[in-house]
Amino acid sequence: MTDFKIRKAEPKDVPDILRLIKELAKYEGMENQVKLTEEDLLEDGFGDNPLYHCVMAEVPSEPQSNNGPVVIGFAMYYFTYDPWIGKLLYLEDFFVMEEYREIGIGSEILKLLSDMAFETRCNSMHFVVAKDNQESIEFYKRRGAADITLDEGWRLFKINRSSLFKMSSGSKE
Amino acid sequence: MDRFKLRKAEPKDVPDILRLIKELAKYEDMEDQVILTEKDLLEDGFGDHPFYHCLVAEDPSEQSNNNNGPVVIGFAMYYFTYDPWIGKLLYLEDFFVMKEYRGNYKHFLSFCLSSSLTLPITINSHRLSIFTAFPLSSLFPPGFGIGSEILKLLSHTAVKSRCSSMHFIVAEGNQASIEFYKRRGAADLSLEEGWRLFKIDKSSLLKMSSGPEE
Repeated sequence: MTDFKIRKAEPKDVPDILRLIKELAKYEGMENQVKLTEEDLLEDGFGDNPLYHCVMAEVPSEPQSNNGPVVIGFAMYYFTYDPWIGKLLYLEDFFVMEEYREIGIGSEILKLLSDMAFETRCNSMHFVVAKDNQESIEFYKRRGAADITLDEGWRLFKINRSSLFKMSSGSKE
Repeated sequence: MDRFKLRKAEPKDVPDILRLIKELAKYEDMEDQVILTEKDLLEDGFGDHPFYHCLVAEDPSEQSNNNNGPVVIGFAMYYFTYDPWIGKLLYLEDFFVMKEYRGNYKHFLSFCLSSSLTLPITINSHRLSIFTAFPLSSLFPPGFGIGSEILKLLSHTAVKSRCSSMHFIVAEGNQASIEFYKRRGAADLSLEEGWRLFKIDKSSLLKMSSGPEE
């Protein structure tokens, strides 16, 4: 049985964080959409006011090598705010490399995130799932997740930078 | 003449922020779901690490009852989130202007009906047009453009703080809001990209954190 360890991310993990972000994006056919660099991730995650937090999953490397543990999974999260109930933990990205799935790493990561949520007095954890990702939907539903989009009819919108710019220096409606 | 003023929220605004949060919740019939207190809002918004930011709109011509200055008549609550592909985003969480400060075409209709105003209507062969003896705009009670100004300031904030995008959710039955945002270039990610928003609430989190294996 593979030994693994889940821990908080450190600055040295930034190359692995970017690697796994790209791997997850590649899985969705979107690798060229990843514009973030290691420099951005370092500044944004490990400065005075981190914009995100990560937990890393690692396994020991081969016994014959002299290398340290290898990072094989991660979760990226941050804190959001609900005007009715206050602080929430928002799970933004969650990925375990294919060859390391089905051994409980995902469950352990979620467990650690739940602990974090309690330590920081969050009332709920939110995240989005692609509607055709049945496997993930089941994984979360088994743990008590509710599909707010379905139950409450919320739709997620975005206004991108060029439209924001138009609005800010703005032409009238 | 300045009908309203927009500014960053200060600690003294916390009672008004809570009042408007409850007013918006009441509008959705959910007022008893608001369990947040003024103390929470003060701590969470104005401590060392704010979990949210607010803009407030006030009416300079109306003073509040408690000598706190002009009456606060609208607000927007936002915070910063992170997209693993493009980085920092501005997330618009709540956005509310008190009813009497919005523009409302329904007022125009009820005004017409109550005052027996007759509109001469001309129909031409290509399209139905309505011609009146006076500009229609003089009859519509104008909104003050508070919503637009708030969005403008939020957009400026987003661009200034190097955000790639602004995200927010809208109830799928709220056609007026959906149109308001679409006119400003908003895209419905739920529709176009098929994302569904999920939540795991406290009791399920508790089960997960100390709980039995799956």
